[in-house]
Amino acid sequence: MAMQFLLVAAFGGVCYLDRTAAFQVMLHRPLVVASVVGAIFGNLAAGAQVGAVLELFYLVRLPVGASIPPDDTGAAVFGGAAAAAASSSIGLEPGNLAAILLLSVPCAEIGKVADRFVRRMNGRIADLAVDLAEREDPRAVEHGLMAGITLFGVFGMALALLFSGVGVSLARFLLPRFGPESHFQFAALLPALPLLGAASVFSCSRTERTSPAFYLTMGCVFASIFFFRWLG
Amino acid sequence: MGGIPLHVRRKVWLRQFLLQGCWNYEGMQNVGFAYSILPALRDRYEGRPEEFSRALKRHLEFFNTHPAMAAVILGAAIRLEERVAGGEADPRAIGTFKVGLMGSLGAIGDSYFWGALKPMASVAGAILAFVHPLLGIATLLILYNAVHLAVRYRGFAAGMGGEESAVRFLKEAGFARETENRKMVAAILGGAYAGVIASHTAFRFGGAWLELGVFLLAALAVHLITVLFRKAVSPSEVLLLLLIVGMLILWQ
Repeated sequence: MAMQFLLVAAFGGVCYLDRTAAFQVMLHRPLVVASVVGAIFGNLAAGAQVGAVLELFYLVRLPVGASIPPDDTGAAVFGGAAAAAASSSIGLEPGNLAAILLLSVPCAEIGKVADRFVRRMNGRIADLAVDLAEREDPRAVEHGLMAGITLFGVFGMALALLFSGVGVSLARFLLPRFGPESHFQFAALLPALPLLGAASVFSCSRTERTSPAFYLTMGCVFASIFFFRWLG
Repeated sequence: MGGIPLHVRRKVWLRQFLLQGCWNYEGMQNVGFAYSILPALRDRYEGRPEEFSRALKRHLEFFNTHPAMAAVILGAAIRLEERVAGGEADPRAIGTFKVGLMGSLGAIGDSYFWGALKPMASVAGAILAFVHPLLGIATLLILYNAVHLAVRYRGFAAGMGGEESAVRFLKEAGFARETENRKMVAAILGGAYAGVIASHTAFRFGGAWLELGVFLLAALAVHLITVLFRKAVSPSEVLLLLLIVGMLILWQ
């Protein structure tokens, strides 16, 4: 288990770097993060199931200018770990899946606060780097940037460790306490969650031209599935 | 004095991936931009420490744009520095050029990458993840990075060709048209995703009229959530409300 948490911390550090400080090649997206974390804890498919829903939740919050969107990478670390742990113990049935997805929201908000804190710390590093560079030490720029990246990476590792630990604990100790009736009732909330993701995509892409396309496709897909099911 | 050597250009191109390494609320990407352009400045101002220091200070001023679009400004800034070092241009032109372009490129990049390309790649990945997780991941990464890396590469090369070449690149890339196209693809894929979810839920109930009712309810839910998002309600707030509802269910 310790090896698994170490792997998640290392992978989480890379993902958090990709999120803001370096590359931005989408390694930090929830689908990727939850699947890999799920695989580390023994079930890639369970992680992907959570990741595919989380992927679309926060798309509507764009990282424009100084605004920081909720930390969907952290939510995915939590979700991937919890889903894999649940699948190997109590099973990942709809009630558990809905609970994991909803309980990932506090992680996304905690991650956002941590991100803001790192950026504020970076302000001090940047001030120092600019000050030293103006006093004829150009290497201060390189050192300052590396310090900033290290800060982002270390915080990312710590958050990944925290969220995966909470996720595994939740799946092992909290979810099994709920009875089958509660699971069934909680499962009633599950269809609302992917629809929230679809609404997030629709909000991003909404123009006069795309609105009819969205609803028309939704209707056509529904009608096609209905038709083929009716055929037998 | 010859042009910037290839190995220096390569170094600058690679360093642009760390543009946001020291992102902060005051200077935003200032340290990252100075870090990226540093190898070119060292090459241009070799043996001229005072001019090098002045050039470095120029690039430590406030800078913020979309990280992928920064490649164009970075390339053009190097070309301008080359001309300043050769005594052909006024150093103030660099600051004016950067400030003039970063706002508009930021807006174009945010709208194109965050508002159109990312949702399109995400929803395509999420749909294909139902077939196989690795297929979903590969689709997401390839759809996004094929364009992202091409813009970083071609944008940098265009910027290195000078201001006119940079403007020509931006014109030919047709970001406004491409944004519209990708938003359309994202909307179609998002509609397909919502249709699958609605049908999956509806079939649990059975009965054609009931299934149709569930579909209409799903479409209404998407519409209402979209209206909430437009009124600046955050997805977290909607999810927290659902979490509270879930807790109340458990409490009972």
